[in-house]
Order: sequence, then structure tokens, then C-alpha cells
Amino acid sequence: MASVVEIHRVSKTFGTFAALGPVDLEIRAGEIFALLGPNGAGKTTLISIVAGLLRATTGTVRVLGKDVVRDYRDTRRAIGLVPQEINFDPFFSVEEALRFQAGYFGVRLAEERLLELLTALDLLDKRHTGSRALSGGMKRRLLIGKALVHEPKVLFLDEPTAGVDVELRRSLWSYVRTLRDRGTTIVLTTHYLEEAEELADRIGVIDRGRLLVVEEKEALLRRHGAKLLRLVLSGPVAALPPELVRLGARLDEGGGAIVVEATGDATFGAVLAAAAAAGLPPKDVETRRTTLEDVFVQLLAEGHAPAGAGAAARAAAGGPGAGGRP
Amino acid sequence: MISLGLRTLLSKEVRRFLRVPGQTLLSPLVTTTLYFVVFGYSLGARLREIEGIPYAKFIVPGLVTLGVVTNSYLNSASSLFVMKLQGTVVDLLVSPLSYGEILAGFLGAAALRGLLVGSIMWLVAGAFGGFTLAHPLLAVALLALVAVAFAALGLMTAIWASSFEQVNFFPTFFITPLTFLGGVFYSISMLPPALRRLTLLNPVFYMVDGVRFGLLGISDASPWAGPTLVAGLAAIAVGSAYAMLRSGYRLRG
Repeated sequence: MASVVEIHRVSKTFGTFAALGPVDLEIRAGEIFALLGPNGAGKTTLISIVAGLLRATTGTVRVLGKDVVRDYRDTRRAIGLVPQEINFDPFFSVEEALRFQAGYFGVRLAEERLLELLTALDLLDKRHTGSRALSGGMKRRLLIGKALVHEPKVLFLDEPTAGVDVELRRSLWSYVRTLRDRGTTIVLTTHYLEEAEELADRIGVIDRGRLLVVEEKEALLRRHGAKLLRLVLSGPVAALPPELVRLGARLDEGGGAIVVEATGDATFGAVLAAAAAAGLPPKDVETRRTTLEDVFVQLLAEGHAPAGAGAAARAAAGGPGAGGRP
Repeated sequence: MISLGLRTLLSKEVRRFLRVPGQTLLSPLVTTTLYFVVFGYSLGARLREIEGIPYAKFIVPGLVTLGVVTNSYLNSASSLFVMKLQGTVVDLLVSPLSYGEILAGFLGAAALRGLLVGSIMWLVAGAFGGFTLAHPLLAVALLALVAVAFAALGLMTAIWASSFEQVNFFPTFFITPLTFLGGVFYSISMLPPALRRLTLLNPVFYMVDGVRFGLLGISDASPWAGPTLVAGLAAIAVGSAYAMLRSGYRLRG
């Protein structure tokens, strides 16, 4: 798949503080890429450099093959940015804000396109309302409208659903998918791991200005994740049959439960069969798959830990591998 | 050919100050009227004429210049500074507008407000003391240059400033004192030699003097000193503002 954004050895220093990098990253055409990281990790710094809000200290960024500094007019036409902080101009209405933003991009906003945007963002009845009178959620939707008004090839969403209620968040997710289906490449930063898990095709985890991992979401979950099976027994047992031990099972809850952890594509059919054959039919069966949140916390912990401390980091992350209760 | 992007920014900036006409256009009208009443009539009764011109008329060019200077500066300074505070400056920074277009948009709207206020002041003054236009083209060209120069200064201040106090620093400590001491209310021929020499170092004096020549046909210095100096200052101010925008100083981290 072709790259629409190519980030090469990009770093940013504020005074003596190294906020970012150097970072290498490519964003593929038509994907939803989620950039995850804690506060101050460098997410906003990175996308601000791509969008032209900040200048990189070192390195180059190309959007659709054009340099963001030398060919800034071309690259900015290709980019839409929804900033993290809500902003609005109290002097103007929703329609005026959208028309001005379109004009800055050299686009005359057709009535049809205006109505399409207002409808998609549920702002149709607020068309003539002053920006100051909008609720927080409406102001955020207006920001999204302003970022989309020139039909960008790449849309950057910096914490798009921060402070947005669940219903609106779901509707925004749905709209983001619609945009992706129409061919828009989407890069989002988020604190809501559920959001990345729900939307992203690929995920990058960034911390302290370093990109820890970039991977397909499913592969990331498979590679770093684990599955856990817990068989709750009718009564406690003193020891496990050898067949179950061979399959990696261990006793938990004072012998009242059998726990097995597996990674990758392993299945638990053999464990269930061995338990039944050993006369240990479960009273209840619980399964759990690692969530993106577990992987994220684990990666961050590994990122901070010295080399070879992966197991300790895994335990610190409290994921299934730590033996914790699912 | 003016691009759609520049036309949009100009239109937005003009609409911004027209949305609050009481603050941007009518407030200077009240101030000017008070100046004419207080200075023109109270002092006019004592001074009668300066260089053959009635005092109430003599102060008009200086007050018009004061209005143009103050309003051009305030428009670009407050507009960009408020955009920085509100975060809406992002809208411009992510757009493909060139640095020249952003500069032209802000300076064009600010100069227009300055000239509108100057025109209103001149009309009010005319209503009090009668209209005189000795060299209209020179007066308009000079005031336009003054407006652009101070709009550029306002824009640079907005880029640099991180508080309203800093935005008000130049008008309070430089623009107003230099304008009031630049011969708005008197001819420098009335000053003692030491003060006269000091006034000749004040660039605003040449602006007021040049506008006075344009409107009334009289001047203390050479009539070409004002236009020459203002053209030079405007070129330096616009060039510096462009360089500041292009450098990304305090706008692009």
C-alpha cells in the first residue's frame, strides 16, 4: 500500500527539552492509524509537525511525496487537522466559520457540500448559531467540520472525542469509518484505548518522544497479547493431573480453579478435554483475551524497563500474563 | 489577481471589526468630538490662528493621524493576539495561505479600519470647522502608508506578545506620547529651540506635518519629509512583519 505520509528522522527540541524523536513512520493510504501514548509522549508534537503547526528540529516529513516545509501549500491542501484544544471565534456563526475555513483553502463552499457537512456532524439546526452558543460537543464537531471542509486526503484527529459523551463518541466513530471508506486516510491520537481498538487498522505506541512499536492492530494484540482460560471447579483439588500440567495449567484460588494462559493462535480445546478426562468437569468457564489497554500498558512498562526485564514489565502491567484474575 | 484565500481572510477581518462598530468606529468618533470641543474651542479661543489657519482646523490633521495610527495598530494587534488566545490561529497556520497572503489580509483590514476612522474624524472635524483639502491625493496616500506601517507594527506586537499588557505596551508608552508630542496641537515654531530640536527626532511629527500639508497646505518641515520617512518606515515594518511570520517565531513553536 502506498505511503501518504513519510516521516524520516524527525525530532523536536524545545530549548533543552527533547520532546520528540528522532522518529521514523509511514502512514499508508486509506488506513486508520492510531497513535497511542500517555500525556506528554509526543503525539501532538508529531502530528503538529506534519500539519505545519510546528517546525521539526531535524528530519523531513513528506505528504503525498511533497515536503511539508518547502512545498507547504501543497501539503497543507492535502491535510485536515482537528486540534486537541477546542477553539472558536465568538464573532461568527457555524456557517461563517465553515465558509471562512474553506476560503482559506481556496475552496468555494457549495451549498450542497455545506449541508452534507452540517448533516453529517448533526449541526444542521445550528447553521446560523453563533459559535459561542454551541455546547462543548457541538464545538468539537464544528472543529471536525472545519478540518473536512476542503476534503483532505489525510485527516489528523488529535484526541477527537476527549470530553465527548458516549453517544456522540459512537456517532463520530461511525463518521470516521465512513470517511475511511470514502478513501480518506485517518491518523488519530487518543487516550481512549477503546477508541483505537474500535477504529484502528494499525497502531503506533509512543512514549517520551520514542516510537515504541508500530504494528497492525490484530498482529499487535496477537504478538503481545495473551488468552486466559479459567475453569472454576466444583470443589478444591490438591494437585493437577500430569496431562493438564503438560498443557501449561496451574491451580489457583487454593485449588478451586484451573488457570491456563496461551499466546498467539493456541486454542483451549485440549485443556477442556484433559480436564473432563481427569474427572474435573468445570462448574464455570471464563475466558479473557488481552485488550489493547493491557498491551499498551505492557509496552509502556517495557519501554521504561531495562533490556530483558520484559517478564517483570508484563507482571507490572497486570495483564493476563501476570497471573492476575481476569 | 487576489486569491480566494486572501479575499476570505480580508473579508473575515473586516467583518470582525464591523461586528463591533461601537468599539471600533464609534468610540473614536466620541473621542475626536471631545478633542475638538476641549482643545479646538477652549484653546482656539486663546490661540485664534496658527500660520493663518484657525486653531480648530489646525488640529484636524494631527487628530486624523492619531486616529489612523491607533486604530490600524489596534486592529491587527488585537485580532491576531485574540486568535492566539482563542486558539483559532490554528485555522490560519494549517491553511495553505502564503505568508504574504496572511500579511496582506491582516494589514489590509487594519489599514481599512484606520482609514475609516480617519475619514470619520475628518468628517466630524469638517462639520465643526469646515472642510479643506489642499492636496487630497498626497493626504490619502500618506495616511494609507501610515496605516500600513502601524498595522504591521501591531501584527508584530501580536506575534511577540503573550499578554494584553504587552499588546498595550506600544500604544501606551510610544504611540500616544510620540503622537501628542508630534505637533498635533501646536506648530513646532511655537516651541523653545531645545524642544523644537527634540521634536525633529520624533518620526510621528513628520507624519502629522505631512498630513497637515496634504489637508491644509501648510507644514513646518519639508512637505516631502513626511511621505519619504513614512514610505521608508512602512517598508521596514512590512518587511519585518513578513520575516517574522515566515520565521514561525512564537507561532509555529
